[in-house]
Amino acid sequence: MSFGSLDSLYREVVLDHHRHPRKNRPLGDYDVQASGKNPSCGDEVTLQLKFAGDRIADIGVISHGCAISTSSGSMLADLADGLTLGEAEKLAAVFRRALRGEETPAEVDLGDLEALTGVRKFPVRIKCALLPWVTLLDAVLSHRRGGDGSLPGSKAGDDQPEELVVQLKDGADESER
Amino acid sequence: VRAGHHCAQPLHRLLGVLATCRASFGIYSSARDVQALVDGIRAARKVFLR
Repeated sequence: MSFGSLDSLYREVVLDHHRHPRKNRPLGDYDVQASGKNPSCGDEVTLQLKFAGDRIADIGVISHGCAISTSSGSMLADLADGLTLGEAEKLAAVFRRALRGEETPAEVDLGDLEALTGVRKFPVRIKCALLPWVTLLDAVLSHRRGGDGSLPGSKAGDDQPEELVVQLKDGADESER
Repeated sequence: VRAGHHCAQPLHRLLGVLATCRASFGIYSSARDVQALVDGIRAARKVFLR
């Protein structure tokens, strides 16, 4: 039996994020909190976001779960910090595409997430990698509903593709949430 | 082999673990299956304890 694709999934960068998750602490002061769970497998994540206007000013990602979900959450903490709401949504959508083996726009840099796209070969684990990102979308949605005036599509220059977001939300179904 | 909560979350809370792997036998299980499990556990240890 070969474990070649396992080795390529659990690369050092993934294990490092798992062992030393970034920004893995509660924020003293946050605007939005969202939690996500995969009850079937036991993964849990709580995101806390502090906003400065339209931008994520600080983020806390508290994860409990498998190496895939915690490392994905840690990468999210690195990547989403400082993004606008639209940029964060776009990144989540692009990551989901990458996990489905679909083409991703060249202008979006997935950074360390690139190492997690090997999860494609393990379809039942895709939900683990997506959990923090689906939870991020929940947080962004509740922030938008929170009445700070920034409704979807209301901002000039916001190139966030609506259908990508919808697609990502649909994907939550197959992840048995 | 099944991984996760096995529809038994209260038991996992009681045991203080997030999730577990459970190996079980059926009448069709063979020595080869057992060897595959042993190989798999060794491979997992190599990845996560390195």
